[in-house]
Amino acid sequence: MNCEECQISISAFLDCDLDAAASNDVREHLALCSPCAKVCEDFAAIVDSCRVDNPAEIVPPNAQALWCRINNIIESEVKPPTEQQPERSFIRRRWNFTLSQSIAALAGVAVISSLLTIVGIRNYFEPTGEDFTLRSASTQTTFEKILSKVGLADTPQQARERRYKEQQAAIDYWNKRVQARKSQWDNKIRDAFDRNLNEIDQTVSEYNQILQVDPQDDLSGEMLDSALNDKMNLLRQFAEL
Amino acid sequence: MIFNLKARLLFPFPAKATILLLLSVVFFFAPADALAQRRFSRTYPAASDVRLELSNRSGFVTVEGWNRPEVSISAYLEAPAATISPQMIAGTIYINVLKDNQGRAEVGNVNFTVRVPYTSNVDIETLIGNLTVSSVRGGSLRAHISSEGDITLTNISAGTVSAQNGIGNIFFDGEIHPGGNYRFASHKGDINLRIPLSSSFRLVANAPSTRSISLGAFANPNMVLLSDGRRVAGRFGDGSASVTVTNQRGGISFLRR
Repeated sequence: MNCEECQISISAFLDCDLDAAASNDVREHLALCSPCAKVCEDFAAIVDSCRVDNPAEIVPPNAQALWCRINNIIESEVKPPTEQQPERSFIRRRWNFTLSQSIAALAGVAVISSLLTIVGIRNYFEPTGEDFTLRSASTQTTFEKILSKVGLADTPQQARERRYKEQQAAIDYWNKRVQARKSQWDNKIRDAFDRNLNEIDQTVSEYNQILQVDPQDDLSGEMLDSALNDKMNLLRQFAEL
Repeated sequence: MIFNLKARLLFPFPAKATILLLLSVVFFFAPADALAQRRFSRTYPAASDVRLELSNRSGFVTVEGWNRPEVSISAYLEAPAATISPQMIAGTIYINVLKDNQGRAEVGNVNFTVRVPYTSNVDIETLIGNLTVSSVRGGSLRAHISSEGDITLTNISAGTVSAQNGIGNIFFDGEIHPGGNYRFASHKGDINLRIPLSSSFRLVANAPSTRSISLGAFANPNMVLLSDGRRVAGRFGDGSASVTVTNQRGGISFLRR
């Protein structure tokens, strides 16, 4: 038996799991080989320590005192806080501006805060397209009207027109898809689609006429938006056939 | 003896022969479509809060609530018969006739009758055809028709109801839950809502073309006419629910339940 074979078998040997012949081989090798004998002794010591009846014996005596010592060592290694005096003087030196520097800084802060305020207000009062189409000139706040006058926000009419263009673009897209597939539909589907599209188109036409006469008619604007949505949904659903 | 002779004269064929003759006449004159119909039937065990999502292409859909923990789907398929493959995934039953038959040039009507537990959530839509829902008391009910067809919702008690069609009538008969959301929209047809007088809701009703908005017993000083009578908005009771009704080219009526 060589050293490698012996060391592989040591654990089983100590547990008496080897047969008689293998145990004899290990025993003979250990008698002749001092490194393997040392390994065997170490193994035996580990196994013995694991067999101790009372696990508390493994715990070092007076563990609390041991932890106190470790804690003291750690604390002694922490450096004491340094003096704050030089830091304070450094801060004073940093904030010791000249008059021109102070004026320039104040002007900068004023410009930046004004810009931030304008951007913030503009974003706050600019609702989404759908929201704005449902709003009317009468429900606009004075501040919104001022923003509309200076061009920082859309008027309800402008918002409606913008939304109308967006809806028309979507309708054109779905209409192209419908036209590409319509020839494959049966008569029943085609007739129902045409009737409904015709109804919606008539409604859209009526609202457009009303809004040309009275652009402030908010209800017609709202209903036009709704009818265009209906048209878009009709086209989209039939385009998937 | 005389009676038997009369009977013989009036019914000269034996009974079995008469039945066969009648049946042959019936089948001869029966429409071809009726003979071409196929039937589809399936039942799923379901929890009380099961959700039904049905997308039909054409044909009627009837959904009824019942007191059984199962969903029963039966359908009559007119020629050329559609393909139907319902699926049950995580407490939801999906039936999508549109998707199952996408790209097919001709698909016959599919007429569904679906029975669901009373407290189910129902979401049905079709391109063409009537939708009927009755005795459903789940959390939500949605019935949408892309083009033509009537929507009839009876004995409904749901927190969220949405009914929309293109050309056709909408009839709702049910309760308005406090804090609920109810939306009815049609392009051309009549919208009739039959609700209890004890309901409380905020209302926005638009009938821009006909200006025909009849509040009936629900008229009160808190309801005001706006935009030359094209819109009625206001509150009934404490106004906790929200009711929005839009009929582009038809009338709106409220009825006391």
